[in-house]
Amino acid sequence: MEIVEAAGISFAVVAGACVGADFERALEVDLRIAGDGAHFSTAGVADPIACGVRLARLLGEARAKELILAGRSVDAANALRLGLVTRVVPGAALGDTAMGLAAQLRALPPLALAAVRDAVRAVRDLTPGAAVTLEHRHFRRLIATQDHRAAVAAFFARREPAFTGE
Amino acid sequence: MGSNAHTRWWADGPIGYIELDNPPMNVLSDDNRRGIREALAEFGQAGARAVVLTGAGERAFCGGADLKEEEELTAETVGTFLQRGDETFRALREYDRPIVAAVNGWAMGGGLVLALWCDVRVGSTRAKLGAVGVKVGLMASNVQLSRLLFEGRARDLLLTGRTVEAEEAHRLGLLSSVVTPEALMDEATAWARDIAARPPDVVAALKRAVNAALDPVAAEPRR
Repeated sequence: MEIVEAAGISFAVVAGACVGADFERALEVDLRIAGDGAHFSTAGVADPIACGVRLARLLGEARAKELILAGRSVDAANALRLGLVTRVVPGAALGDTAMGLAAQLRALPPLALAAVRDAVRAVRDLTPGAAVTLEHRHFRRLIATQDHRAAVAAFFARREPAFTGE
Repeated sequence: MGSNAHTRWWADGPIGYIELDNPPMNVLSDDNRRGIREALAEFGQAGARAVVLTGAGERAFCGGADLKEEEELTAETVGTFLQRGDETFRALREYDRPIVAAVNGWAMGGGLVLALWCDVRVGSTRAKLGAVGVKVGLMASNVQLSRLLFEGRARDLLLTGRTVEAEEAHRLGLLSSVVTPEALMDEATAWARDIAARPPDVVAALKRAVNAALDPVAAEPRR
């Protein structure tokens, strides 16, 4: 397993076994993608309780229990079904897919990307009202950024925007 | 039955219909925001038991905020803009009858938010969902996607802003069924009829209960 960082977003790239400490690390990053030869297991994780809580938040209760209670190994197709990974490609294409995802993230406006990353982490602890308030606070800040204006201008000019992070 | 420049609404027996009609992309206008709320109030008085929300044409359900309108927002007017959007979304969420979104094409940005605040979503094979906020340097649909998909999948859509086609949306649970464009309104009507056939008080209580089910409990901090 490899962890790739792009534009402040980290994602796990899983080609083969993802068990124990690797599995725990994979849960801490923002996104997970896999090759079709990947397999996952909670067996041997250092902190199974924390792992279970984290899984419930990532996947929902039913899917978290499916993974954590019996400690069975799941293959790439099942990891995709559970939402543990969000993309599975042939093993030979995994490197290119990872580079493509990194490029896709780097092409996005960095301030909005960081705001979305932070907000999506915070939302589950908030009531809908408080979550909407948080989203609005970010929105007010982001709409005044140069990157937002650049994105809109590029949209109307039908060209690719260039972002500066301002 | 009623209409304004960008919205039409009518009732057929126990089912109310709202159509957003602002071609070509059905971007969300003030007429839409007002129309949705007027229609819901009217349906409520007429005793409608379920509502279907859709977009006119084959291209878009709702293209989200009008970027031209948005471009002109200032620090003073952005608050009103957000509030008007929020009032519309809340009107759908808090309406005591279920609302079925018939997603006939693009649902992106604020248009995706609109679809996600409905209670059931059915789509045509032309349905395309995009949490595109991040692509234009903004943020939208965080709250809804995080609740509907849990964090793992929500992050994938929110952080990349990528397009989700109808089949994938079905697999993710964002669409409850996918049919041909010709069959979409019949499919949405069938869902609305099944809902309308059940005791309205029970249905209203179920909608409220599920809406609140994932709210954090103040006495029980999660961490």
